[in-house]
Amino acid sequence: MKRIVTLALMVVLALSLAAPALAETTLEKINRTGVLTIGTRTGSPPFAYINKNNEWVGFTIDLVDQAVKPALDKKLGKSIKVEKKESTPPTRIPLLSSNAVDLIAGTMTDTPERRQSVDFSITFFLTGAQFLVKKGSPIKSIDDIGGKRIAAQQGSTNAKIIREKVPTAQLREFPDQPSAFQALLQGQVDAYTNDGIQLYGLKAKSPNPEQWDVVGDFYSREPYGMAMRKGEEDFKQVVDSGLKQALESGKYFELYEKWFGPKGEVPYPMTAEVKKFLMSQVGK
Amino acid sequence: MNYRFNWSVLWSGQSGHWLLQGLLTTLEISALAWVLAVFLGILSGALRTAPFRPLRALATFYVEFFRNVPLLVWMFFWYFGVPPLLPRGVQDWLFGHGLEFWAAMVALGVYHGARFSEVIRSGIQSIPRTQFEASMAMGLTTFQAYRLVILPIAIRLIVPPATNESLNLLKNSSVALTISVAELTFQTRQIETYTAKAIEALTAGTLIYLVLCVSIATVMTRLERRFAIPGMIARVGAG
Repeated sequence: MKRIVTLALMVVLALSLAAPALAETTLEKINRTGVLTIGTRTGSPPFAYINKNNEWVGFTIDLVDQAVKPALDKKLGKSIKVEKKESTPPTRIPLLSSNAVDLIAGTMTDTPERRQSVDFSITFFLTGAQFLVKKGSPIKSIDDIGGKRIAAQQGSTNAKIIREKVPTAQLREFPDQPSAFQALLQGQVDAYTNDGIQLYGLKAKSPNPEQWDVVGDFYSREPYGMAMRKGEEDFKQVVDSGLKQALESGKYFELYEKWFGPKGEVPYPMTAEVKKFLMSQVGK
Repeated sequence: MNYRFNWSVLWSGQSGHWLLQGLLTTLEISALAWVLAVFLGILSGALRTAPFRPLRALATFYVEFFRNVPLLVWMFFWYFGVPPLLPRGVQDWLFGHGLEFWAAMVALGVYHGARFSEVIRSGIQSIPRTQFEASMAMGLTTFQAYRLVILPIAIRLIVPPATNESLNLLKNSSVALTISVAELTFQTRQIETYTAKAIEALTAGTLIYLVLCVSIATVMTRLERRFAIPGMIARVGAG
């Protein structure tokens, strides 16, 4: 018995000694390891995906490399390496809280609920939910989906809104975009709903883009932000300053043109309203 | 870790309702798949020991084919692979009648049937050959010998590994979420979506699975004792 008590005390002591090491802030961690680990996507063109040459690329990844990384380099006074890990809607917050990644940079919508668990950078993209359907489908907007089978992504904001607004729609939630699209392709579902820009991306990447239509007005507002662990003001400030700097210098719009311009992966012209909103974040 | 726990997300709002619904779907799919798996398992397990080569070959093919491909692949196979082979009218009917659930049930049942089969076969092969020969000598046909002598003993012998297999089946039902079946794990993720409280939601799911599995294991142990043939297994006889 005595031996067990001693052992238990030793374990407690060991844990309490280990604790200060765990309390390291994100900036300290990046400074110590020289690595910024981001959680991003492999199948969300053009934000983050694996391209034909088997490279992990995308708009969000470029933003991290060319806006966030320079700000971090400057702050820490050395060149930081960016490492990428796959993160999906259900895994991204747990990945952050377990310290497996330092920054979620993919297609994560900034919502009030999520803000209770993580902090968000300024908004780096603004879109809204729409529907992807086969050309000629009777579904034209959210008003037509009652009783229909609608695919959505598990853990996304869209599914939540559909459930609240159109409870009669039969939701089918898939863990990732490829399986939801496969279900649409084969007719298991009548439409697939996601953020408009993602649907345009999916359509552009599909074997027969002319077969598909993206329909409906935005039935939700989806501001994308980069997420980080809560309460790390100094890290958030560095990320924000990098993004703001990119907006002010025009770097952001250069990258936007590269991915969403007429010759980009997914042509998606920026509306004046969106541009105004983005610039309002840097006080312009 | 600067994570603020908020356990009330598990009973506020619709969370309780979702968890219950997920639990029911998990039980439903597991129970149906279990019946299918046990049926296929006993059938193919018995056939693998049958004194007739083509039947043995058929059963061996079933077992090796289905147990050596990951369950996830089988889920996709039954959900995405099978419907296009059917006539359009049948497809539409299936799509409108909960194909997800049935595809997942069949995937789970057929996959675990192959695994049950091995358990049953090992049970049958642990029975001394003389039992079979004695049955024959008493004038039973092969079918009668299996039904009246071999299987009743084998099934008693394999309760512990079969319990293990059943628990695996129950836990593997969570893979069904990949084809959009709203079972327990799916619902815990749903709670996470609504509340952004992943650790709380996963803890609830973990506890429910744990309680379920421990209860099943307890019931199976009782059954094992209740139906034991005195003298067959010393340990059980003593209990």
